[in-house]
Amino acid sequence: MITIFLTFLKIGFLGFGGGYAMLSLIFQESEKLGMTVQQFADLNALDGLIPGPIAINSATYLGQLYGGFWTAVAATLAVCVPSFIFVPLFLHYEDKINDNWVLTAILDGIKPASVGLILAVALSLMLLTVFGINGLGEWAKASLDWTSLLVLGVVFFLDSKYHVNPVWLILLAGLLGGVVYYL
Amino acid sequence: MHKNWILFKVYLLAGTFTFSGGMAMLPVIERELVGKYHLIERDQLYEYATLSQTFPGVIALNNACFVGKKIGGTVGIIAASLGAILPAFVLMLAATIAYQMIPQEGVVLSIMAAIRAASAAFLFSAAYSLARFNLKDAPTIILAAACFLLTVLNLANAPTLIVIAGIVGIILSRVKQVRRV
Repeated sequence: MITIFLTFLKIGFLGFGGGYAMLSLIFQESEKLGMTVQQFADLNALDGLIPGPIAINSATYLGQLYGGFWTAVAATLAVCVPSFIFVPLFLHYEDKINDNWVLTAILDGIKPASVGLILAVALSLMLLTVFGINGLGEWAKASLDWTSLLVLGVVFFLDSKYHVNPVWLILLAGLLGGVVYYL
Repeated sequence: MHKNWILFKVYLLAGTFTFSGGMAMLPVIERELVGKYHLIERDQLYEYATLSQTFPGVIALNNACFVGKKIGGTVGIIAASLGAILPAFVLMLAATIAYQMIPQEGVVLSIMAAIRAASAAFLFSAAYSLARFNLKDAPTIILAAACFLLTVLNLANAPTLIVIAGIVGIILSRVKQVRRV
């Protein structure tokens, strides 16, 4: 429980730029806790189904998975700590801080970085779902799963181009997976 | 109604009906706190919304803390934060417990495999839309590409890269300031 608390504390403090920027941190840090790529993919799907900030959803999910209710509470509180520290601190010294260019500058660096980081996570998930391997190192063992490739392509297209509600896209994917099983 | 109770209620409402958090909840907050209860000025709310995004941590929660502090002090922070966190926590906890009870066999495995492929697609889509808004010039493209390659090749981990990217951001901003002078 303490490990998970500290993990999400770290994720919170390094989590600039919102949910998707934080996902790569959550992905890597949770792997250390024993989370599989499958479990992460499921977490990301649940994020699409359940309202709320990605970081809080992730903390609750991993806490519940790796320790039950109280660990879920601890992880969720941990990821909230930075807000409780920085916001009151900022408001207290607001008059003295007339230019927060440093924060904006940090964010200007982290936003582009998070594009690369999230793309790397996306690739990991694609390697697992479409090729059935954990990482590029296992490339020799890769076998192409046509259904997953089709789902990935169609969902990406509908999501990025038409912004279809993720709930429908997940239902569509699940339906296709079910139909393929009985073919 | 007491203002801290209103804070709790408004953030609970906003948290329950907005997906993916962040600033998606802002229209609800504005309608309720500015339009209905007149507890905060519209300009102030938007200033806080912008600030929330530059602070570390959960953006929606940062926003709840700013607005909560302004309206109700420390108690206001607690009220607004609880409202912002509770829906996500309760719903996700219920979903995870349900998820743990799903038998991992037969047709379920096939359905889950397809949903995981969809999950990968969501991340590609997120990377694509983040790239469209944030990769504007050579330095930002190089930074993104470097982070991608270093991660894929297992040469650096995410926390390290984020710290380095923050430092690069500061340096780039200084360089721009010097050039302007």
